[in-house]
Amino acid sequence: MQLQRTARILPLLAPVHLLILSVIVLPSLYVIWLSLNRSSFGQVPSFVGLQNYVRVLADPAFHGALMNTVVLVIVAVHLELALGLGMALLFASGLPFRRLLLVAVLAPYAVSEVTAVVMWRFLFDPDAGPITLALKAFSLPTLDWSFEPSHAMVLIGLLTIWLHLPFTFIIVYAARLAIPGELYEAARIDGATRWQAFRRVTLPLLGPAMLIALLFRYIFAFRLFSEAWLLTKGGPARSTEVVAIYLYQEAFSFNAFGSAAATAWIMVAASLLLAAGYVLLLRRGGLSHAH
Amino acid sequence: MRTERFFFGAGKALAVAAILLWSLFPILFIAASSLKPGQDIFAVPPKWLFAPSFKHYAELWRSWGAFFDGLLNSLLITAGATVLAIAASACAGYVYSRNSGRWLDASITGLIVVRLIPPIVVTLPLFPIVNALGLNDTHLVLILLYATFFVSLGTVLMRTFMDQIPRELDEAAAIDGASRLTILRKVIAPLAMPGVLAVAVFVIVFSWNEFLFAFIFTATKAKTAPLVISEMIGSIDGVDWGILFAAATVQLVPVLLFVVVMNRYLVAGLTAGSTKG
Amino acid sequence: MSNKPETKLTRRAFVAGSAGVAATLAVGSTLAAGKTLNVLSHKVHQTVLGSGDGDLMAAWRKANDAEIAFTTFDSNPLQDRLFRESSLKETEYGVGYLIDNRPTSQIAALFEPLGPYQDKDAIEDFADIAPGLVQGMTVDGKLIGIPVRHATQGLFYNEALLEEAGISAPPATLEELIEQAKKTTFTSKAGTPVTGLVLASDLAVFPVMFARAYGGDFISPDLKLVPNREALEQGLAALRAMFEAGSLPRSYATTKNDDQVTWLQQGRAAFTVLPFARGAQLNNPEQSKFPGKIKAVEFPGSAAIKGKVPMASVVEAWAMAIPKNARDKALAWSFIREVSSKRVTLGMAINGNGPVRVSSYADAGLKAKNPLAAVEAKVLATARGAFPPFPEAARAQATFLEEVQLAVLGRKPVKEAVSAIIERVKPMMPA
Repeated sequence: MQLQRTARILPLLAPVHLLILSVIVLPSLYVIWLSLNRSSFGQVPSFVGLQNYVRVLADPAFHGALMNTVVLVIVAVHLELALGLGMALLFASGLPFRRLLLVAVLAPYAVSEVTAVVMWRFLFDPDAGPITLALKAFSLPTLDWSFEPSHAMVLIGLLTIWLHLPFTFIIVYAARLAIPGELYEAARIDGATRWQAFRRVTLPLLGPAMLIALLFRYIFAFRLFSEAWLLTKGGPARSTEVVAIYLYQEAFSFNAFGSAAATAWIMVAASLLLAAGYVLLLRRGGLSHAH
Repeated sequence: MRTERFFFGAGKALAVAAILLWSLFPILFIAASSLKPGQDIFAVPPKWLFAPSFKHYAELWRSWGAFFDGLLNSLLITAGATVLAIAASACAGYVYSRNSGRWLDASITGLIVVRLIPPIVVTLPLFPIVNALGLNDTHLVLILLYATFFVSLGTVLMRTFMDQIPRELDEAAAIDGASRLTILRKVIAPLAMPGVLAVAVFVIVFSWNEFLFAFIFTATKAKTAPLVISEMIGSIDGVDWGILFAAATVQLVPVLLFVVVMNRYLVAGLTAGSTKG
Repeated sequence: MSNKPETKLTRRAFVAGSAGVAATLAVGSTLAAGKTLNVLSHKVHQTVLGSGDGDLMAAWRKANDAEIAFTTFDSNPLQDRLFRESSLKETEYGVGYLIDNRPTSQIAALFEPLGPYQDKDAIEDFADIAPGLVQGMTVDGKLIGIPVRHATQGLFYNEALLEEAGISAPPATLEELIEQAKKTTFTSKAGTPVTGLVLASDLAVFPVMFARAYGGDFISPDLKLVPNREALEQGLAALRAMFEAGSLPRSYATTKNDDQVTWLQQGRAAFTVLPFARGAQLNNPEQSKFPGKIKAVEFPGSAAIKGKVPMASVVEAWAMAIPKNARDKALAWSFIREVSSKRVTLGMAINGNGPVRVSSYADAGLKAKNPLAAVEAKVLATARGAFPPFPEAARAQATFLEEVQLAVLGRKPVKEAVSAIIERVKPMMPA
């Protein structure tokens, strides 16, 4: 009986797992081996054991990058989820020109990161950028992002939210659309207020979707690269560096492949720790359903 | 009562205005810059009024023909990756939705955990393998790679959406003699359309703008638009910002068009979902 | 059930269809007849060889019945791709363009030694090619690349802005430059806030030039780290003073190469250091607000070294190399020979390329077309790379820049920064 079921579902599961296996899992095994070696262009890999890991973990620049990444990820992703939820509810409550607005909301997602950074760099240019000038005109504080590392991190955070809010929004909005109208009807008939309907109907049914959005957004945000690299290159003096920049430098600037591989695995461990909570929640609530 | 509704309405209007400004201002700036004369694009103080011209687009067509070839390649690759990702995710998502068991739960957790690996390092072993297989500079290799990056998210999303479709529909169709695949295609997929479209948008946007893997695995035949754009920001002979923004605007348009078209289906999906017969 | 239009294509059909399309495209144009030489380069290398009527390689292509197929990338991705390709078992690329600060011993081993080719089928008047550039391409006694292009750094200035500030002539010493940069930090008549000197902070080129202006260096050609400590300190101190005085932009830490060009074009800065070849772009009436007003001179050394040590401006050179795993090496060498010939080198120079042949600069046509040719030739005579190639060079450069940024921004005293540079880079130097 089990075997029969397995035989029936295997072909449907195969494409996904074959792709993941061949493109990610198997090459990753090579990368594990690579992380235990010194390797570069024109060199035969030489075994160095855990030396790469030790060097990276002891590097103060890596600590800084890790700290920057963790703070950025936690703040930006949660802020983004809140904004995405708010927007999804706003749309669901009925808006004029909804189609047009939807296009407007999703537009930033369509812009390539390179183009977006060029634009934002100019808009926020400390001397001449239109937004900086506008802020100055209203006597509001400006972002001195090319000099102060903390301001730069704020701009990077803003930029990543701008680029990826549509991602969170789509997931939450699609889930919101999938909630049948009858449930709200029933709640209204039972005399529930707006807030109660939100707490008792919307939130629990949106739960799994929000969790997925959060989890994957975490995974992607941990690898944040272009926003930081194109804006500040991790400067001044590596103060706005994130782990993805550290990894990129090792792999592409210094061509230290063993070190890059080790950095990648440390990143995996770190993001696993960070996302562990959410994965557990997903497992408990969503993944294992008793039918 | 009236005042409450007024404030609510005003609040909404304000929120809408904020959303529009937030989302569209930078994009309109890009599009406007592509119509400005070259010297005014980064002018200080910024120039708001100008006589628009399509000069940069004409120049783009003239001197960067490779860009338009790149657009065609991007189109083929994006379409292929999207179809593959959706098809594979729908099949797997369906299985995870309708079945349970220790191995299944472990495998879906595995699908998610595996995505923690930064794709950049995977290119190191993949480059020689792809070359050995003769897949370098083909559309197929990017189609496979891009699809792979979204099947985890796709499967989980599909599963979540399919969970909400009652099993009775499956059973009814099975009684009518439909095979699993037919049930998936004709019964489940239409009802899970919001999920399908969500995955589609993600894969399309990613594949359309992706740079790193396109750079490593293609050369000329399958060169995508983002690669050409990165050459425009070249470090030797300098950037012609007008042409660059023209290219960026052209690059934007197809995805925006897709979003507009997708809107209709998203709304239709909502209708289909709520009238469950 | 629903009125939603159902997708006509079934999954299977589409996947099969797109796989078929993909397969066809993959086979594609390799069915064209004749030989093809695949060249891996920057787009500019393709452009300077001309096209259509101005195609400098037309005769060669006919004579060899070969097509030239360029695969182009931006500089850094290009090098990365070239080394990747050269590390495979076999590559389809016959010629790859190398930057002179990349070939370490290991990387040089990926390319064919060209000595034997030169012996058998020599390049026309090889001695005419700048010996310094040839030396730069000789690693472990083997010549692995033939120089084809150079970009030498010069000091660009905006004549109009200088005039506005009451300066009649560009600076002849570094001290004069610092003084003039201060004077040109003002708000111009057009209402634009002007910063005296704009420099990118992510390139070692600029701090190195400042160190050399005082007779020192970052890493000497014979791989000595900071040979003259005081000179480096003076150079960094000068930069720091300029930043404090506001004649370097406050956004120095995030300024990029393109910003230098844009700022000069927009009149946001009066001075910058860029390759002479950028002259055309800076004065382009379509992009610049000051066409014809942006001129260039040699980057001035300090008054202290004037007459004693020549100012060694930074030059970056490109060379053509043949990967060891290339298929048709004979055809590749034939291409290299032709591109290195006097005729083609001059032709490329007229198209805006920095020529590697001394004789090219003597040509009247070139002098007429490129007003900066004479200055460039003079600077080239004493120029050299920013630093010599060695395995950890990239990491050394990154560390150097980190400390320089801290010093210039005032986050670390200059003396401490220089000590840190010496301490941190020492273990990276080859034994």
